Amino acid sequence: MNPMMLRKGIEIIDGLPVLYIKPLSAIVCTDLHLGYEGVVADRGTFLPKVNLKNIKEILKKAVEKTGAEQIIVDGDIKNEFSKVHVEEFNEFREFVNYLRKELKIKKIILIKGNHDNFIDQLKRPLDIVVYGQEALISDFLFFHGEELPKNKEGSTLIMGHIHPAITLYNNLGIKEKLRCFLYGKMKDKREIIVVPAMNYFAEGVGVNMENVKEMAPVFKKMLDIDRMKAFCIGEGETFDYGEVGKLRKLNIY
Amino acid sequence: MIEFYKEPFTAQQSLESLNPFVRNWFAAKYKEPTPPQRYSFKLIREKKNLLITAPTGSGKTFSAFMAVLSDLMNLAIENKLEEKIYCIYISPLKALNNDVYRNLNVPLEEIYKDISIPLTKITAGIRTGDTPTKDRQKMLAHPPNILVTTPESLAILLNSPRFAENMKEVRYLIVDELHELVNNKRGVHLSLSIERLAEQIGHDFVRVGLGATLHPLEEGAKYLVGYKDEQTPRDCYIIDATWDKKMEYIAMCPVTDMINASDELIENSIYSTLDGIISKNTTTLIFTNTRSGTERVVYNLMKRYKYDESSIAAHHGSLSREVRLGVEELLKKGSLKAAVSSTSLELGIDIGSIDNVIQIGSPKSVSRAIQRIGRSGHSFNDIAKGEVIVTNRDDLVECSVMLDAAKKRHLDSAMAPQNALDVLAQHLVGMSQVKKWGVDEAYLTIRKAYPYHTLEKQDYMALLEYLSGMYVGLESRRVYAKIWYDEKEKTFGRRGKLTRLIYFMNIGTIPDEVAIDVMTTENKWIGSIEEEFLSRLKPGDVFVLAGKPLRYEFSRVMKAYVTPAPGQIPTIPPWFSEQLPLSYELALEIGNFRGRFSKVLKDEGVGKRKLTIFKKKGKKVPEWRSILDSMPIDENAKSSIYTYFAEQLAYTGIVPNDKLMLIEKTKDPENVKNLLVFHSLYGRRVNDALSRILGILVGDFYQTDVAINIADNGFVIATGEEIDLDKKEIENLMKELQEVDTNRMLKENIRRTEMMKRRFRYSAARSLMILRNYKGKKISVRKQQINSQFILKAAEEISPNFPIIKETYREIMEDVMDLPRTKEVIKGMAKGEIKYKVIETDVPSPFSHNLIATGAADVIMMKDRRRHLRELHKLVMKKIGKKVESDDAKKGN
Repeated sequence: MNPMMLRKGIEIIDGLPVLYIKPLSAIVCTDLHLGYEGVVADRGTFLPKVNLKNIKEILKKAVEKTGAEQIIVDGDIKNEFSKVHVEEFNEFREFVNYLRKELKIKKIILIKGNHDNFIDQLKRPLDIVVYGQEALISDFLFFHGEELPKNKEGSTLIMGHIHPAITLYNNLGIKEKLRCFLYGKMKDKREIIVVPAMNYFAEGVGVNMENVKEMAPVFKKMLDIDRMKAFCIGEGETFDYGEVGKLRKLNIY
Repeated sequence: MIEFYKEPFTAQQSLESLNPFVRNWFAAKYKEPTPPQRYSFKLIREKKNLLITAPTGSGKTFSAFMAVLSDLMNLAIENKLEEKIYCIYISPLKALNNDVYRNLNVPLEEIYKDISIPLTKITAGIRTGDTPTKDRQKMLAHPPNILVTTPESLAILLNSPRFAENMKEVRYLIVDELHELVNNKRGVHLSLSIERLAEQIGHDFVRVGLGATLHPLEEGAKYLVGYKDEQTPRDCYIIDATWDKKMEYIAMCPVTDMINASDELIENSIYSTLDGIISKNTTTLIFTNTRSGTERVVYNLMKRYKYDESSIAAHHGSLSREVRLGVEELLKKGSLKAAVSSTSLELGIDIGSIDNVIQIGSPKSVSRAIQRIGRSGHSFNDIAKGEVIVTNRDDLVECSVMLDAAKKRHLDSAMAPQNALDVLAQHLVGMSQVKKWGVDEAYLTIRKAYPYHTLEKQDYMALLEYLSGMYVGLESRRVYAKIWYDEKEKTFGRRGKLTRLIYFMNIGTIPDEVAIDVMTTENKWIGSIEEEFLSRLKPGDVFVLAGKPLRYEFSRVMKAYVTPAPGQIPTIPPWFSEQLPLSYELALEIGNFRGRFSKVLKDEGVGKRKLTIFKKKGKKVPEWRSILDSMPIDENAKSSIYTYFAEQLAYTGIVPNDKLMLIEKTKDPENVKNLLVFHSLYGRRVNDALSRILGILVGDFYQTDVAINIADNGFVIATGEEIDLDKKEIENLMKELQEVDTNRMLKENIRRTEMMKRRFRYSAARSLMILRNYKGKKISVRKQQINSQFILKAAEEISPNFPIIKETYREIMEDVMDLPRTKEVIKGMAKGEIKYKVIETDVPSPFSHNLIATGAADVIMMKDRRRHLRELHKLVMKKIGKKVESDDAKKGN
């Protein structure tokens, strides 16, 4: 299985929902929603606990394949719809320990989403680098996506937050919703990549079906999502689906 | 022993078994006991368990209550009547409960009026989900002697310690509308409540079951009385007075030619027919099959004709209590011209004088048809009148044969779901709240309920493990566990402060009727549709709602988004709804009718030449005409049936029937898919299994996805353009069907269908994995919505034998599908008793019209998921390539 190159130095590995940035020797992931099952249990749905386990497995595969030395989490370590839960603390600690001890990750960088402030108190004890809304690392500008990126530097932007997916129907009308990466150019000519959510239970938003302009200010103001290219992942493979705009109102059946 | 009691007692013997005060009142008011009463008065006096089936207006309810009142009156005379519950009356519908309560109070008041000595009054009380809090509290302090309640409320009361105390003297348990409970999970739930009650109060009681049409009666009786111990069923007498009421009914076709009439014409005609019947009668009860159908009928009648809120009203489960009571009151007073209901008014003893019942669309079973028609005609000697208005060509034949079967008294059978683990989960939680149980002790109690008599120990244990939260780590168990399970001690008991409330607020077996909001892409609300309907929609499909054609775009959580599509022809038929399945017996009767009727037509040369004129002048009546004349159907129905068959014969020369399965190879109207239409007349439950087995065989052999559509009279297997089976390949397919191990094949492959995901979700909700009410708050359906397929996958990671998964498979294989009958059909093919013929048509034949028009009900994804994704990618890129080309061409490149 060849990794899919988005462009030189940036790869999608084995259809996993993570990005490998070679020049930084970093694996980038987003929207972990650690402690998700605990939060949902509060609302009366008692899911088997598989999210953290699944995230660990994905990162293990990615690190083994690439030898990456850093992990960058681009926001939404926890859910947006609740106050901090003890489960989230516990899972986050377990997550960091796993990266350090099992995967031998040297540097862990977190870019906070709007609701991740609880991490601040764990910065020192866990020895992780934490940034507020955005972070410029070398030429890459990481931001979560809830706000517009303020920094005008960096030639490549990376965001999460919207849980991108593409909804497709085949010739028999069978529906398939595939998580995807979005890759394109902003109006100011900078590159931008949207990374899909890691959360086991995140279905994703069909960006080729709905109007997603309201979901993140960057879609409203700084780029045309229809011109972005979609790279869908599933069953260990990556599929280049081309421009999102061409995937609208596509009736094959 | 379950046995029929054939000889009624004399009126005198029956009356003599009653207490004198009760007897005098009864004799003065009614003179003679009705037929069912001539059994029950004496038998209940003798403390026998009874199952009584009789039509509306035959005094069924009194047949149970008079004996009870008699016993209580005797107690009152001896000054032994205390403020305790002696009799529990259960009925599945709130409407009925209000009624029964009212009708009990009348005799109670009147009997006591004529008594000069001071006697303790017998009291009756009602307790349902609708009962206001202050009445509930009053009841705790002053329990009624006769409690009127619902199955769900009973399950709640078992867990209320004070109430349970008041039920210690229960001597009689009456279950009404038994036929509504026997064959579904609601009845299963009730059967466990009844055994729990007996266990809790430490003694048994007389069980009386009342029902309208039920078949086989022995099954109903076994359900009612359950088992005394591991081996012995309890005794029960069966009294069958089903057919004692005169009925007149007819199937009506709104247009003369159902086959060639436009949807609009059919729609208009349905409403004008309705208006015609309503104006001719005093009060008409109209049944549709869905909630949205009910709303649509009321809306249209008001819009098109002179009806308004004072003359016509809707009644269904989603309306508030006040609204429902209001409608019931108006009906009793006789002030409504028509009441429209989905199923909520199907049951009940008396909602005023309904003199006519209309059913729109097929009621799907003879029993239900009789049951509904029997709602009309107030007293026992009145004639019940009803019409079934058919809405499409297959409805037409189905309803005609159904009513004909009713004339011949052919009922369809029903069976209780066995060993439903999700319902049991609810009760285990309830049981754990009441006391600490020994694992074996509870097991034995549960097995006394008929639907659980063969419950496997390991399934039961797996359920205990699930409920005690063993599927998550220790740190989460505090939140997840609903019971405390001590494996060493082999006991289980209560756990968690919130569990009590969880149990009370989440009881129920009917999945929340999910109404999907339909919004425009500008967020304007248009109306609502059922979840089933949504699952069939693909972007681009056009359907009509609130009188407007709409194009479906996409859906998010519980909202469907559409754009207006003025002037476009709907691709989904308007009266479509996923209904209850047609019974196997009735399906065979329809198949048989098809065989007979088409043979007669063929013999007369119809079909070979151009369509002959329907009405032949003079001469002797042709045989096909006599057949139609002998059926309870109107002239339009006769001409439409004739046209339907004649066109099919003209087109293909064959009409499929119960001994001949027609396999029609054709293409869909857009020419994109290859369709195999199986005209298989065995009812939905058999077709569900057949279609999937064949779909799996096709899919696996050709390594492709397969879409299927399933109906009562056939099923369709759709494949992509490249998968084009020729006649030889189809015949090989049929041969393979006869050699396959059906159980194993289905079990291994159901996983790849949409049905699995949907049913899993319902089961998860019943098993209290997904709550609709938690910590005192109602969880909006929106918040409940995590994609089922993720929850299912997560559960599978724990164990493939996870009880909820196991129950989903069981429900699909046993309740949804009918495997034994399916095997029968396949064996019939192998023996040559059922023949099949493959034909090829360019355009789908008339008989396949409905099967194709309603789209795909489910899919069987190819085993190799990776390949599925690759093929999808190829298809999409190919289509886009074409789009790019045509876009370029438009630009003049």
